[in-house]
Amino acid sequence: MNRSTEKTKEDGRKAYLTEAVPPFTITTAMEEASRCLLCLDAPCSQDCPAGTNPGDFIRSIRFRNYKGAAAIIRRNNILGGICGRVCPVERLCEQACSRTGIDKPIEIGRLQRFATDYEKATGLQVLEAPPATKAKVAMVGAGPASLACAADLAMRGYKVTIFEEKPKAGGVLTYGIVPARLPQYVVDEEIEYVTKLGVEIRLNTKVGKDVTIEGLKKEGFKAFFVGVGNQAPLMVDVPGKDLKGVTNAVDYLAAAKPTDGNMDPGKRVVVIGGGDVAMDCATTARLLGAERVMILYRRTREEAPANKEELGYVEQLGVQFYYGFKPLEIVGKDGKVSSIKGTGFRDGSTIELEADTIVFAVGQKPDPSVRSLGDLEFTDKNAVVADEEKDCRTSVPYIFAGGDVVNGGKTVVHAVKVGKIAAENIDKYLTEEAK
Amino acid sequence: MAKLPDLSIDFCGFKCENPFFLSSSPVAATYDMCAKFLEAGGGGVVFKTIGTYIPDECSPRFDATKKEGKPFIGFKNMEQISDHPYEENLHFLKKLKQDYPEKCLIVSIMGMNEDDWTRLAKDVTEAGADIIECNFSCPQMTQENMGSDVGANLDLIERFTKATLKGTNLPVMLKMTPNIEKMEVPAKAAIAAGGHAIAAINTVKSITAVDLDKYAPLPVVNGKSSISGYSGVAVKPIALRFIANMKQEPELKDIPISGIGGIETWQDCAEFLLLGCTNLQFTTSIMQYGYRIVEDMISGLQYWMLEKGFEKIDDFVGLALPNVVPAEEIERDFKVYPQIDYDKCVSCGRCYISCYDGAHQAIDWDPKERKVTIDEDKCVGCQLCLHVCPVDGCITPGKVVFKPEDQFGKGSEAKYKETVPGANRPISIGEYEV
Repeated sequence: MNRSTEKTKEDGRKAYLTEAVPPFTITTAMEEASRCLLCLDAPCSQDCPAGTNPGDFIRSIRFRNYKGAAAIIRRNNILGGICGRVCPVERLCEQACSRTGIDKPIEIGRLQRFATDYEKATGLQVLEAPPATKAKVAMVGAGPASLACAADLAMRGYKVTIFEEKPKAGGVLTYGIVPARLPQYVVDEEIEYVTKLGVEIRLNTKVGKDVTIEGLKKEGFKAFFVGVGNQAPLMVDVPGKDLKGVTNAVDYLAAAKPTDGNMDPGKRVVVIGGGDVAMDCATTARLLGAERVMILYRRTREEAPANKEELGYVEQLGVQFYYGFKPLEIVGKDGKVSSIKGTGFRDGSTIELEADTIVFAVGQKPDPSVRSLGDLEFTDKNAVVADEEKDCRTSVPYIFAGGDVVNGGKTVVHAVKVGKIAAENIDKYLTEEAK
Repeated sequence: MAKLPDLSIDFCGFKCENPFFLSSSPVAATYDMCAKFLEAGGGGVVFKTIGTYIPDECSPRFDATKKEGKPFIGFKNMEQISDHPYEENLHFLKKLKQDYPEKCLIVSIMGMNEDDWTRLAKDVTEAGADIIECNFSCPQMTQENMGSDVGANLDLIERFTKATLKGTNLPVMLKMTPNIEKMEVPAKAAIAAGGHAIAAINTVKSITAVDLDKYAPLPVVNGKSSISGYSGVAVKPIALRFIANMKQEPELKDIPISGIGGIETWQDCAEFLLLGCTNLQFTTSIMQYGYRIVEDMISGLQYWMLEKGFEKIDDFVGLALPNVVPAEEIERDFKVYPQIDYDKCVSCGRCYISCYDGAHQAIDWDPKERKVTIDEDKCVGCQLCLHVCPVDGCITPGKVVFKPEDQFGKGSEAKYKETVPGANRPISIGEYEV
């Protein structure tokens, strides 16, 4: 029997709240950093979307300059501690690592986490913003793209305010990613890092409802960044989807993380999907005491978009995977879920799994209310139209946008990259305006 | 299974089962410790220095030099001679000789004056010692005319050697300090005074590091520290150098030397033996890893001897000595280019960096292909690239070219014998070259 099934509920909740990957100590960090080949051209650095520059910060660790390592990370990636924990490193920096030619890549994410933890432990804050003497800029939404954009603008001397509809900042970092992967204290600390740069965060304030862009313009805000993310869950249209016990990843995860795991995960839980969010739902269910957790995914393990290390962790928790099936029908009894039927995605196989809870983790889309932001150009799926790889400009000159609400859903590190691009172009725009 | 070679060797007339000995130090301080090492396979011990002076030790007393996350490579210690009661030490010696008569019992002594040296020699001889080692070299003694003060003072060496010989008829070995330029000088003085053998080296005077909070050297003892002996892998090159110098001195070439300094593996042992030692002592590696490492010295050395066709240790003692020559005798009329195995290269560019920043800008880097190439016009054959390459067997010594005769005068291929060091040659394990 898997050891985790013997755990009591409280042990499970503790595991849910504790990072699954232990931190490096100074000795183990030095061991890992000394495995680094210190490549001339550092392919790892070239493959970080946010330009976090592992080649340089690992060298700093190797030469015992831990604070310098933290400085390199922070200057390039304000959410360095978060990215060190949630980045799909196997597809980014670590995939590029030359050490792979000898044995296995350097654990870059874990070293990044070591350096940012060291910064925190020694009471250092590498970044210090200049006085905010430049224009007022507003961020809509307090997710990773906005946080990165806000920090970058604050470092450029702008007065930045973030407007967040929810009671807590962080977006997917706070309401989504499971604490075993990203503890809330890490999120809170990095948000505090941003506010220490002079960025103000107004919570419980939805732009388009509580305040408007037009109104904020009158208050003196000169530019806006829309980083509201994808708030609405995608659903698969199958019979029984309205039964009691059917939910979605957004609601499921948001019930767990902000309450420190004080939620009823269900007894027999089936998660639909094969991405990181599906893995987080399965982890949440398993650690918070569900007796049986199953994942139904239409493609194969190899095709699953989830980080493979994460997927391996979920497997090791005892979650059962059913690959090659898509949901066909949710069967109910007295208005409540009793089982789910699946059919082969590529053949005619059938399956029926008993369940009391079904969690759809098949993706998210922008909430239609995003249209109340203003007269922007939207796609027919409510995505904001902007070229986030280039300049994040929307159809309105003073409004910029980036992150999931533009790209349909990418990684946290991509959001950081986009936030930086937006900041640079907002700066450019406002500098031009001022002339 | 192949019959393994004989490791027994004569040292000062004692037929030792093998040359692996604990050196006089914290690792050979009691009966139980020495017995445990002898049971593990050691050929003998040098019992921790006995004196009538009983030191009072400080705490902490050690520091270690670390490299990245690796085990320490250098070690500083502030301990002095044995702090066990004199009678207890003599009792340990008696019991060791009684329980392990076949093993060699060397006893280290240190006197405060000539009478003291004579008395110590007499007492340990009666207690059962096979050989006496005079400690002329402990660098952290708190008393004048004790420790490394002696090893640098020819008058004291002569007087204390003679005083020791007065108290015993056993072979007397003198343990030398490396905190001088020429060890041959005090060694010759000791032999001239009647000594039979040399032990080298004792620890190197050191400050390993300075505490960046307390602004004091390590280890910090209530805010202060003192200069004291450094040992471990880091001092091996210093030890080998002193030993080679002494062994090449005509008056010392036939004097037995017990080699000490950073011995950790059978390879280290082989190196000391190749430079003429007939006995080996170690402490730091034992403090780090325990007595059991002698098992790997024994079997590792045997397998190497088997590979080389040596039946006994005497077959190779001193073989490297003729190859230690003055700089002016090194041949300089050819160069050995490095060669890169591109199947192994991981394109890290470290050879390029080191060649550019630390050598002769003779490696080119193609950033697009991520490929290094050697520019033979600029390459001087220094082989720095080979030393920095992180991949086993990727960069190896390759083509040998002779410098043009008109430029250097005496280029001759006939003079070229063997410049490719065997150790750098990849060996095959299964289908892999490693």
